[in-house]
Amino acid sequence: MTDLRTIPVVAAGEERPSGGQGNLLARVFDELTAFCRSRSLFMLHYCTGCGAVELPPAMTSRFDMERLGIQPMVTPRQADILLVTGYVSTKTLKRIILTYEQMNSPKYVIGICSCTVNGGMYWQSYATAKKLNDYLPVDMYIAGCMPRPEAVISGLRELIANIRAGRSDYWRDYYRRYDHYLGNQQRLFGENWQTPTDVIAEARHYGLFGPETLGEHTALLEQHQTPLQPFEMRLGLKQDKGSSS
Amino acid sequence: MSFAGILIELTLMPLVAFTIGLFMVLMMRKIAAKIQRRVGPPLLQPLYDIIKLYSKQTQTSHGLLHDIGIVMAVGGYIAAETMVPVPGMHGIADKAGLLTLAYVTMIPSLGLALGVGQCANPNGSIGISRALTAMLAYDVPFVIIIFGTAWFYGSNNLVEVVAAQQAGGIATWGVMQMPILAIAGLFSLYAMLGKQPFEIYVAPAEIATGPMVEMGGKFLGGLFVMQCFQLFTASAIYVSLFLGGGENWPFFIAKLFFIIAIPMSLAFLFPRYRTEDVLAAVWRWPVILGLAGVWLVMH
Amino acid sequence: MTTPLDLLLFTAAATVAGAFALGRWRDIAWLTGAFYIAQLIQLTGLDLPSASHAGFTLFGQLVGWQMDGFGRFFAIITVGAAAAATAYMGGEWGERYRQAGHSLVWLHGALAINVLAMLLLLAGNDLIALFIGWELTSWASFLLMAQGGERALRAALRYVPYAMGAAMAVLGGIVLTHAFTGTLQFTELAQRVPQLENWQLALMVTLFGVGFSIKMGLLPFHLWQAPAYAEAAGAGTSFLGAISARMGLFALALLLVKFVSLTRLADLEFVSGLFDARDLIAWVAAFTIVLPTFTALKQNDARYLLAWHGIGQGGYMLLGIVIGDATGSAGGLLHVFNYATYQAALVLSVFAVLHRTGTADLNSLGGLVTRMPLTFLVMLMGIIGLAGLPPMNGFVSKWLVYRSLMIEGRPLLFLMTVIGTLGTILSVYKLIHNTFLGQLRLEHEGIREAPWSMTIPMLVLVGIGFVTGVAPGLPLQWVNDAQAALGLPVLPHTLGGVESSQGGLDMLWVVGVLFAGFGIGALLFYGVGNRSKRIHQLDNYAGGHFLSADVRYHYSDHFYAGLMHRIGPLYRGSFTRLEEAVASANDTLAALMQAWYRQRVPMLTLLVAATAGLGWMVLQ
Repeated sequence: MTDLRTIPVVAAGEERPSGGQGNLLARVFDELTAFCRSRSLFMLHYCTGCGAVELPPAMTSRFDMERLGIQPMVTPRQADILLVTGYVSTKTLKRIILTYEQMNSPKYVIGICSCTVNGGMYWQSYATAKKLNDYLPVDMYIAGCMPRPEAVISGLRELIANIRAGRSDYWRDYYRRYDHYLGNQQRLFGENWQTPTDVIAEARHYGLFGPETLGEHTALLEQHQTPLQPFEMRLGLKQDKGSSS
Repeated sequence: MSFAGILIELTLMPLVAFTIGLFMVLMMRKIAAKIQRRVGPPLLQPLYDIIKLYSKQTQTSHGLLHDIGIVMAVGGYIAAETMVPVPGMHGIADKAGLLTLAYVTMIPSLGLALGVGQCANPNGSIGISRALTAMLAYDVPFVIIIFGTAWFYGSNNLVEVVAAQQAGGIATWGVMQMPILAIAGLFSLYAMLGKQPFEIYVAPAEIATGPMVEMGGKFLGGLFVMQCFQLFTASAIYVSLFLGGGENWPFFIAKLFFIIAIPMSLAFLFPRYRTEDVLAAVWRWPVILGLAGVWLVMH
Repeated sequence: MTTPLDLLLFTAAATVAGAFALGRWRDIAWLTGAFYIAQLIQLTGLDLPSASHAGFTLFGQLVGWQMDGFGRFFAIITVGAAAAATAYMGGEWGERYRQAGHSLVWLHGALAINVLAMLLLLAGNDLIALFIGWELTSWASFLLMAQGGERALRAALRYVPYAMGAAMAVLGGIVLTHAFTGTLQFTELAQRVPQLENWQLALMVTLFGVGFSIKMGLLPFHLWQAPAYAEAAGAGTSFLGAISARMGLFALALLLVKFVSLTRLADLEFVSGLFDARDLIAWVAAFTIVLPTFTALKQNDARYLLAWHGIGQGGYMLLGIVIGDATGSAGGLLHVFNYATYQAALVLSVFAVLHRTGTADLNSLGGLVTRMPLTFLVMLMGIIGLAGLPPMNGFVSKWLVYRSLMIEGRPLLFLMTVIGTLGTILSVYKLIHNTFLGQLRLEHEGIREAPWSMTIPMLVLVGIGFVTGVAPGLPLQWVNDAQAALGLPVLPHTLGGVESSQGGLDMLWVVGVLFAGFGIGALLFYGVGNRSKRIHQLDNYAGGHFLSADVRYHYSDHFYAGLMHRIGPLYRGSFTRLEEAVASANDTLAALMQAWYRQRVPMLTLLVAATAGLGWMVLQ
């Protein structure tokens, strides 16, 4: 089990992708995107437990998250933040991982309530995942049972500050150390575990490959993985001429 | 007008339309916030959203048609909006006319429908089926209004329609001459904007935002851009038909925002209709009013 | 000396002969195709009007053929549609058709006979020539409908009583016309018919009108058409759908505009000053637009869906012609051409899908865009045309019809046409969505694009549709000839459309700006933001559910559920019930006659009949 602070977000010898390098124009551009990313956050709440109760007050007239540019969204494709608000059972965790993998990067995970930190009152349950950051890179925990809306808002503000300063790049870690996360997932779900998303191909496509993207666990995955190549448009006149349709 | 002059207009008009559209989105969200006793988003929030979406690191596409759908959705509206005259610029308004405009605005919807179809998500397909049904609903009163105004001004040309209205001040505005048609038009515009209670094809809690279900990153960003153009185009058509078009920019912009503010102030007071209830609502009063208005105009 | 028209008819007859004589030859399509192209070239170069030497005298009436601008307009479409259909069946499709145990010889032959019959009809210069052409066309189209299996034959047989009824009505009309005017020549008819009394005119219009509208599939005589056209063999369906029914429109326009004249038609009043025969026809046309279109919306078979739209689109043509001003009639006539281009392409694309997948059922397809992109492109452009949206040609002709309804001040008819268009948009989106979009089925993953022999004719057809959409001035020249030949006002046009101070249409600009908009949209999409990554269709939002290939994740059946909640109860099947009622009344009558004649009092009947016959002979 890893400690959150020990996650090497930026591998040694590598430049930070954003912030401070290159010419002035590129820097202004990077600053602008970092600013806009921090000021416009669409969140997807995966409301599993009691913590969900605290979100409506945070969104509505009392605290009004929209002031901070945060608004709820419905599907993982649209969202930036994945809010996991409570205990995570094994079955639920599968869905959370799928949802996370379907989100577009940069993406951030917030674990709300004690249950996501250490299992909380479900510590002794055989069916509950204890630490969310074993399976997904978590950007922020908001502890409490349950945290009040003030705490939620202050946590979100801290996340905004982190994004603005370029400190919240944990989503890269999922690509760079995919083998590690996949290993933990396999330990929990069994060796046949596979999502319909193709993280390795994505890492390759976007140049997010790290030294630990591939490993023994991904090798295990490849043994049984059903292929997920997209259907490219093809005329198909030449390649399989002669075969009957 | 010279060819170069038209080209300059065709570049300027989308920029202006987009900027105005951004602030319309902001106004919409602000009105919602005020009605719900919230503070609402900051001034440039719509812009932040769009920049953020375009700057997403990973972009998920379901295939070529998914991309082309967004291209057509944005591009179609950019083209449509050059057919509405604005102060000082006519674009190609006198080459296309009102009828053509009504049909060109269907092109982006068709493009979007193709893109959504390629996503292979039934939520999206249901959304499109509902969106097309809604189009069938609100276009019926809309074309009645187009007929009435074109008959009244004796022209299908929006430039002439606007000129005729500006000839005698407020008294010759369409809304004064054809008040019943103007009311029916407002209703139709309301349904066209697709806000509550006509929000059947987005329906976040039911079909997961329908057409937008698989849209992320610049795909969603493109749709946000499209929304800006759509708000501008819809309101500019209404203003050109009933509120005397644009004499000058401040008045024109004020009219545009006013006309969008009316449905938006009502929208957030309502829950969502079912699809068949949208049809019933839009096919009843706006159509009756529209036909009555046309009858009055023609007699 | 042979005239150009003689040569044309001779070429058409030679096509028939060639198709039957050399029908077993593998590359027969090249021969007949070349013959159709030759006919097309002759047609475009035809001096107008062009008479034929062929002719004879029948019952003291001169029967002759002469083609004017109106006939040539339809003839060009006919021959073009035949050429496209021939190219389509020349390759793999025809091979498969033959392997399935059907006769390709008869298909080629039936097509050539159809073209010849239609040319004879279109070139007729008197009512007897018209009737000869009419009958030939009816039986030729029956021949084409009946090709391709049991179901096709059954559907075609349903057409027979309709065709017979139409022939009787037309024959009755001809006899009446002769009795009233004493002539059957077109030129003399055009002068004498408007002089007739109102009741004579009404009788004539009713008889001819019923006969011609049966062929055209006007309400309420439309029921035979959809199954007959949909069930025929693929290439035949495209020809039938594109032009065959328009022969009815041709004859109807000839009757209403050239002989009776629209002003005289308006004298036949039902309610004085409010509703006359012209209004009635306009409203029938309007209902023909709306009702079949919404029937198409409910179809689950792509072929039936298109066939029903074919009936609906006929309404626009008739409506435009009946409005009768320069804009409207140009729109109605132009729509015949435009409709033929995209309907033929659409039908061919549906049959290309059928060729590859073995089904045209809209609930068992999906996601084929990645496998058959060219066919998809054809269907996309086709449906844009059918729905009447820019930049395809269908928009221009519909625009002309709308515009004339606006100028003439007919708000309700205008509303009907627009509702028809909106219904078409809904229906064609369902067609393309259920076929090409959505989830690709597991069993269709290995599908290939249709062979070039099928895609090239389709692409050429939609290419014509696009070019004539951007530059409608090209076909409008032929339309002008047709208008002049009918005696209608001629629409002045430019290359890009219509210039008018009250709001014209310049498609060059509209399409130019539309594509410039797409260009900017593409720049925004591809130029800004990171490069997207294509993903598998199962990597999809399903509320966290894990999708797998064996479970369908596709929305196709009952596509417009919400709409049907509202308008569903309006589908009552009234016309089908009417047809059934007529059929069963007919059966009852026949049974009665039979009972009377054969069983009850045979001897008495025989005696009465014999006496009557003898008496008649004696009195003679």
